[in-house]
Amino acid sequence: MNEPLIPVQKHSNPAPDSGLTSSTGEQEVLLEINNLSKNFGGLQAISDVSLSLRAGIVTTLVGPNGAGKTTLFNMITGHIQPSEGDVRWQGESLIGKSPWKVARGGIARTFQDLRLFTHMTVEENILTMMEPGAWLWQLGGKSGKARRYDKVDRILERTGLTDKRHTRALDLAYAERKFLSLARIMATDSRLWLLDEPASGLDPNSYNLFLQLLREEVKDGITVCIIEHNLDIVVNISDRIAFLDQGKLLADDEPETILNDPTLAAIYFGER
Amino acid sequence: MLFLQLLANGLQVGAIYALTAAGFSLIFGSTKIFHFAHGATFAIAAYLFHFALAGLGMHWTFAVLLAAVSAVVFGILLDRLMYAPIQRHEGSFFTVFVASFGIGIVVQNLLGSVFGRGFMSVATPLSNSVEVIPGIYLSPLNGLAIVSAIICFAALHLFLTRTFVGKGMRALSENPELVRTFGLSPRRLSTYAFALGSLLVVPGAIFTAAGTGINPAVGHHVMLISLAATIVGGIGSLRGAACAGLLIGVAENLAMWKLGTQWSEAITFAILFFFIIFKPSGFFGRQTVS
Amino acid sequence: MTAYILNLLVLISVYAILSTTLNFIIGYAGIFSLAHAVFFGIGGYTAALVAMHVSPEFFVAIPIAMAAAAGTSLLLALPALRVRGEYFVAASLGLQVLAVTLFSEWKSFTGGIGGVIGIPSVELFGYPVYKPWQFLIISLICLAIIIVIIRTLVHTSFGRSLKAIRDSESAALASGKNITVIKTLSVVLSSSLAAVAGALYAFYMSFINVESFMLDTSVLVMAMVIIGGTATILGPLLGAGLLMLLPSALTYLWFLPQTEIGSIQQIVYGLAMVLLMIFRPGGIVSSHPGGGK
Repeated sequence: MNEPLIPVQKHSNPAPDSGLTSSTGEQEVLLEINNLSKNFGGLQAISDVSLSLRAGIVTTLVGPNGAGKTTLFNMITGHIQPSEGDVRWQGESLIGKSPWKVARGGIARTFQDLRLFTHMTVEENILTMMEPGAWLWQLGGKSGKARRYDKVDRILERTGLTDKRHTRALDLAYAERKFLSLARIMATDSRLWLLDEPASGLDPNSYNLFLQLLREEVKDGITVCIIEHNLDIVVNISDRIAFLDQGKLLADDEPETILNDPTLAAIYFGER
Repeated sequence: MLFLQLLANGLQVGAIYALTAAGFSLIFGSTKIFHFAHGATFAIAAYLFHFALAGLGMHWTFAVLLAAVSAVVFGILLDRLMYAPIQRHEGSFFTVFVASFGIGIVVQNLLGSVFGRGFMSVATPLSNSVEVIPGIYLSPLNGLAIVSAIICFAALHLFLTRTFVGKGMRALSENPELVRTFGLSPRRLSTYAFALGSLLVVPGAIFTAAGTGINPAVGHHVMLISLAATIVGGIGSLRGAACAGLLIGVAENLAMWKLGTQWSEAITFAILFFFIIFKPSGFFGRQTVS
Repeated sequence: MTAYILNLLVLISVYAILSTTLNFIIGYAGIFSLAHAVFFGIGGYTAALVAMHVSPEFFVAIPIAMAAAAGTSLLLALPALRVRGEYFVAASLGLQVLAVTLFSEWKSFTGGIGGVIGIPSVELFGYPVYKPWQFLIISLICLAIIIVIIRTLVHTSFGRSLKAIRDSESAALASGKNITVIKTLSVVLSSSLAAVAGALYAFYMSFINVESFMLDTSVLVMAMVIIGGTATILGPLLGAGLLMLLPSALTYLWFLPQTEIGSIQQIVYGLAMVLLMIFRPGGIVSSHPGGGK
């Protein structure tokens, strides 16, 4: 969390590639968070947050450390149950559902500390994402298997991990691990990605590869919600910014509006 | 009458379990180390107390002191020489548990080889039972065990709520990230937790050695019970571990009333299963998040 | 001398089945059980009873023994796997303690402390098997089949799911894996295969009692897995061999007091566990030296 802020690179095209900045009101609401609260033994981690994630939109969650961003992710994915409020996914409540059901419904996530399957190879890490079933063998027979391996090939290529196919996750370099955590969710066919600081600590080359990958995925119709401190992401690929501080949602608006708000800027930059 | 007698015994045994479980819970809560060798600490303290009193003929104050010092030193040494190196590379629950379990085996067998495998107990003037009311035999030790458990818990409570280190430990068990902002190094806190947790077995060890008696497996037995008590009470809750220890001590003795001695451990684990099935968070436990 | 070696080899292969099946859940699924001796025992007692009262046929006794162990393991797995790993250790320990009490008290099933005596020789398609070398062949075949089953399983999607859960439970959940079902299945599988070892043991000894199925046995098998090497096929086999040979090796060391051999054996493997966890957490046959789990 203390890695230096990557210098803002102004892109030639000021409008984000997802290109939906001005029309956020019209897309279908994929995920709807209503009056969500969570307290941990007296400590109010999230209080009364309402937020909608619309299809095809990149929403960035910003705010100081401890603002409750990851807790919000954990409540969406069912890793933590909220104290109050509701989370609706395509109209259906996710409250009380276990994380694996939420995941199968089409919500994929990464973790800030990655949580790779450390003793498995890169290939196995990706393959296992396509095999959620608890049966001893996967359904779909030979052709299904061939399709899964094809998909692994494509994902490896796009994330630049082809050479590391048989390397254990444990033995990867830092940037490679981050790409593996992205590769894992690319394998899931989810509609919504929740990314927890996916770009932190990346070197400029890897960072550009990451941006490119994310843009392509968004173009393909993936809805993304990112927790990120990196101002470049906030400026360049976000369609909306949700600003959290001390568990409260202070603002949820277009990037320019948020960045031009002196109070929010004070909180945001004050933290660094 | 037998009922009352067993209830009284149960309270004494329960007080001992409560203290040991509280020590385990304190260590587990603030360091996340599954310190299975906590039972070994108990056995070492009990044997050294016995040896000092019966073997060397020391005054009881020195014997108590020896037991306390050896327990604390053993706890800290394990933390420094075994857990710290393990945690330096990866230190998953699994590795820590196996190492801790291994030490338990080593200590149990060493004690057996050095002191013999039989049951032994040291008679003190306080161990003699008196018939208090017809049919009920109590020794001053019974009462002393309960009183010292109460004193220890009161002291522990004061320590955890009033002192800087104590507050740090509680913070660590509730939220490991808070601790860095507290300005205490987790390594230092870990040492304190082991010292304090190990100290808490001493009264139990002494009263067991002077009362019902000890054998090399005593540490193992006490550890099984403390583990059950920790879970029944709710992992991380000292209050829970204490109540559960007491409950198990009483239940185990009342089981003898109806079923016979061989069922006493089985009863403990029946209670444990009951809690795991119906209330896995225990008496006072917080919601478990994996 | 041949008889002595044959006997040792049969026991090693029985324990190798136990360590291989325990490694399946410890090494691949990350589930730490201290109740493996319970399933060993249930396999033994069930096979003995079936042989005495129903049929001594191998292919009758073994499946029934496996089913009995599988059923019991569900009783442990269903509640205990819903919660965190620490609970499973405690619950399995609890089951082990409870089971020892039951094994010594439930006289009609286990014969109490005295045990079950006079177990008839097992029959293979009607031919009685009683010579030690015949037993050795049968147990080696069983061991081989079990190794093949486990080796195959860990290379399927099921095996990947197990390893994923072992490496990060929360990430496995977030990838849509129903971890409770997957873990339960693996415990049931491991326990029912452990029952095969129990049945073989009962037939071979023709006498069993609770002494063979106590916590010490569970710990011994756990030590075999850990010292040999978790998450490898070879490790548990090596561990079983080493720890079974240890007592005989110790008797050759004349300077050790012979009455203390039992203690010394336990001290040796206790210390080995501690040192390995510090310096080589993957065990002797570590699939990745230096790294741990």
